[in-house]
Amino acid sequence: MPRFLQIWFASARYSIIRTLMFRMDFFVWSLVELFWMSVNLLLIAVIYDHTSSIAGWSKYEMLLLVGTALLVQRFLMGFFWSSIFEMGRNIRSGYFDFFLAQPGNILFMATTRKLDPDGLVNSFVAMGVVAYAAHRLNLHPTAVDLALYAAMILCGLVIHYSILVISVSLAFWMTSAQGVEGIYFTLAEFSRLPREAFKGLASLVFVWLVPVVVVSNAPARTILHGFQPGWVLAIAGAAALWFSAAVIIFHLGLRRYASASS
Amino acid sequence: MRKYAHSFLVGLQSNLVYRWNFAVRGFFSLFHLAVVFILWGAAYSGTKAIGGFSFGQTLTYFLVMLVMQFFVGAFNEDYQISEEIRNGLINQFLLKPINYFLYRFSIFVAARLVTGLLILLPLLVAVPLLHDYLTLPSDLWRLPLGLVAMVQSALIQFSIAYCFGMLTFWFLEIQGFVILSMAVESILGGQMFPLDLLPGGIYRAAQFLPFYYQTYFPVAIFTGRLNDPGAVAQGLAIQFGWVVILLSVNQLLWTRGLRRHTAVGG
Repeated sequence: MPRFLQIWFASARYSIIRTLMFRMDFFVWSLVELFWMSVNLLLIAVIYDHTSSIAGWSKYEMLLLVGTALLVQRFLMGFFWSSIFEMGRNIRSGYFDFFLAQPGNILFMATTRKLDPDGLVNSFVAMGVVAYAAHRLNLHPTAVDLALYAAMILCGLVIHYSILVISVSLAFWMTSAQGVEGIYFTLAEFSRLPREAFKGLASLVFVWLVPVVVVSNAPARTILHGFQPGWVLAIAGAAALWFSAAVIIFHLGLRRYASASS
Repeated sequence: MRKYAHSFLVGLQSNLVYRWNFAVRGFFSLFHLAVVFILWGAAYSGTKAIGGFSFGQTLTYFLVMLVMQFFVGAFNEDYQISEEIRNGLINQFLLKPINYFLYRFSIFVAARLVTGLLILLPLLVAVPLLHDYLTLPSDLWRLPLGLVAMVQSALIQFSIAYCFGMLTFWFLEIQGFVILSMAVESILGGQMFPLDLLPGGIYRAAQFLPFYYQTYFPVAIFTGRLNDPGAVAQGLAIQFGWVVILLSVNQLLWTRGLRRHTAVGG
């Protein structure tokens, strides 16, 4: 574990130095992420101008939910997005050889190589949204609730990471898997909706089969209603299951990888 | 004119090569429609009308918006133009008697024809499922005015993409600008929610911006969110004004950009 951390710190240091070299890029991309977050928040504001409840959730409860969903997404963007996005392109082009030649766990090396400080900066904005919503709801979560919330955000991050790795791993099988990363963004849209809005087939697919709804609803409910064992189990179990699936699918794909570069 | 007809045919062929990519993209758009259905369905659970429109009318709005985007939206034209400038591929157009804007526009028209027809395939799945909710007004005046608005929308969409492509003469990387603009367009173009749900003052201000005419305007005509033919005619005039302004900006950026352009490779 310390060795993994050592490698990760070296990569993070390199990414931060690179960001400092391209300060304008950092500014533009931070603004891009901020704008897209605002788009989602504005949607909520407009709907609640015309109705008082969405599936039983009040305006600020919904804001807390959307803030939580955005927080998980910002962490994914900051810690993993660039590396995983490049992984897909590298598999297609043959540049993935570079990672096979490195003395370390291939999945770890390939998915943690780049850090995006612009995504991480905006995670503070998402935290601000959650804190503001909690304040407007007059909530006073205990230290245990906050620790549980953080642990669930981590589980949510693992689930999003796994979904993205699985989507991009399709590049091992498909020669033309360009744009497959879009699957992630499509699924992420569902995580901004409350669990109660899903009924029938939609509930089966987006709550249980692909747990994108659990990722945001479980931590948000902990802040809103305190510790709920069912939701803790659901998100921890889903994280373990999806991470295992991502590791298996990635390694199955790796066996099919035939370098195209040399 | 024949050379542009030929570009159109080449564009048609090259886009048909990627028919499966577009078809998959179309099917994924159905997931977006599912999000719309779930979110707005939940919002309507406690009320019969939002902004004076029923759930069926709102759902119809988003469905027509989806189709409209595939028929008139600029997908990656900005990146393609940017690549051609960066790689020096535009050099060949500077040496030939061909207008680069018209060449690119004819390819854009071909691409939208292909994507527009391909989105109808996933709709064959969606429409029977949503049939009970969908409701379209039957006034005859909507068809000709809506079609004119659609053509002008396509011109606005392409011109904005062309402007972003032209920025490559000044900036090495335009992706940040494009995605930033996409966020603004998604709000002010009515892709996230019908613009008439905005507070009155903001809605009226939005009507003077080009984004309003990118997709919202034709969709609002077809789906009955704009009901006064006089106001629609006025909107068409403003839209035409934006077409003229954007085409002029395109030309300005092209001539100014070429002054900075250094032809490398070819």
